[in-house]
Amino acid sequence: MMKFSEAKGHKVVDKSTASTVGKVRSLLVDPGSCSVAALRLKKSDRGEVLRWGDLIAFGVDAVTIGDPAAITELDGDLKALRGKRGRLLKKRVLTTGGDELGEVSDVEFNPGTGKLTAIFLQDGEIAGERLVNIGSYAVVVKEEPAED
Amino acid sequence: MRLMRTSDIAQRPVVTVAGEDVAQIKDIVYAADGGSVSGFTLAGRGLFAGPLKEGLSWKSVAALGADAVMIADEAALEPTDSVLGRSRGGEGSHGNVLGSQVLTEDGVALGTVHDVVVAVDSSQDGQCDVVGYEIVASDQMGTQGDKVLIPLPDTMAASGEHLMVPTSVRDFVGHDLAGFGAAVERFREHLGGAQ
Repeated sequence: MMKFSEAKGHKVVDKSTASTVGKVRSLLVDPGSCSVAALRLKKSDRGEVLRWGDLIAFGVDAVTIGDPAAITELDGDLKALRGKRGRLLKKRVLTTGGDELGEVSDVEFNPGTGKLTAIFLQDGEIAGERLVNIGSYAVVVKEEPAED
Repeated sequence: MRLMRTSDIAQRPVVTVAGEDVAQIKDIVYAADGGSVSGFTLAGRGLFAGPLKEGLSWKSVAALGADAVMIADEAALEPTDSVLGRSRGGEGSHGNVLGSQVLTEDGVALGTVHDVVVAVDSSQDGQCDVVGYEIVASDQMGTQGDKVLIPLPDTMAASGEHLMVPTSVRDFVGHDLAGFGAAVERFREHLGGAQ
């Protein structure tokens, strides 16, 4: 598993030329599937986004891609994720019961699938399977089962 | 079951399960018999947003928490008139009690109503019951000016000027919400036994 804070700054390497074509600036999250939809890049001549499906791997030290042409400008469905909706850090977390748990301080994801696996708050963490949805106002998570 | 002051519910955001804030609570609408909350009127989000044409009836509330009122989606909202319509006929019995004098059956004024306490049952078909009032105590209570909680019977008489409560309510006064739920239960049990 990898945290967003660790993923930031990863270099993006083109497999065919073995050269660095950019660096990860941030991750765009798809609220519906609660997974990483794309990477936003910096220091890239070709564009600024790379869709998750175009990656070969999100490795420990680098992101590898097969074709730099996959790097495009931010448009279409991804544009909607750039704003408040696709951002997670510092967003409030609400349970389905209407209680606020805190603010997101970091997010953990599975580098193999892009699926979010945990949300970290200033104090405590929330398992990825409790995620319900990500909205512009709050990240909604399932209520913790009542303690006996 | 969870107790809340209705003054704390006002201004709370109304949030969909998708995490979008679509409104905030403006006023509490009480059922015709006054014993429960039947819904809410709403205002838009933001400092300068005015009242909305839509309201929220209690049956469309998925959960009422400490920080937000959760709904499934925006389809849960309905015209404010239809939310208000359900409470017509008994207006004023609980809806407009703030400032009323609480009077026991033996004629002692306990204080004036400062806030309404509800018990929220978030389960399916759960109610939002009016279970008590927070009152500013009179000198009869020995702690003049203090805010104390008094439990309510299921039904009671209210005129807008006075609220009549059983004399025995004085034995069940609470000082914070934490232990108040138990006091309400004991009080209602006590009344049930007396009848």
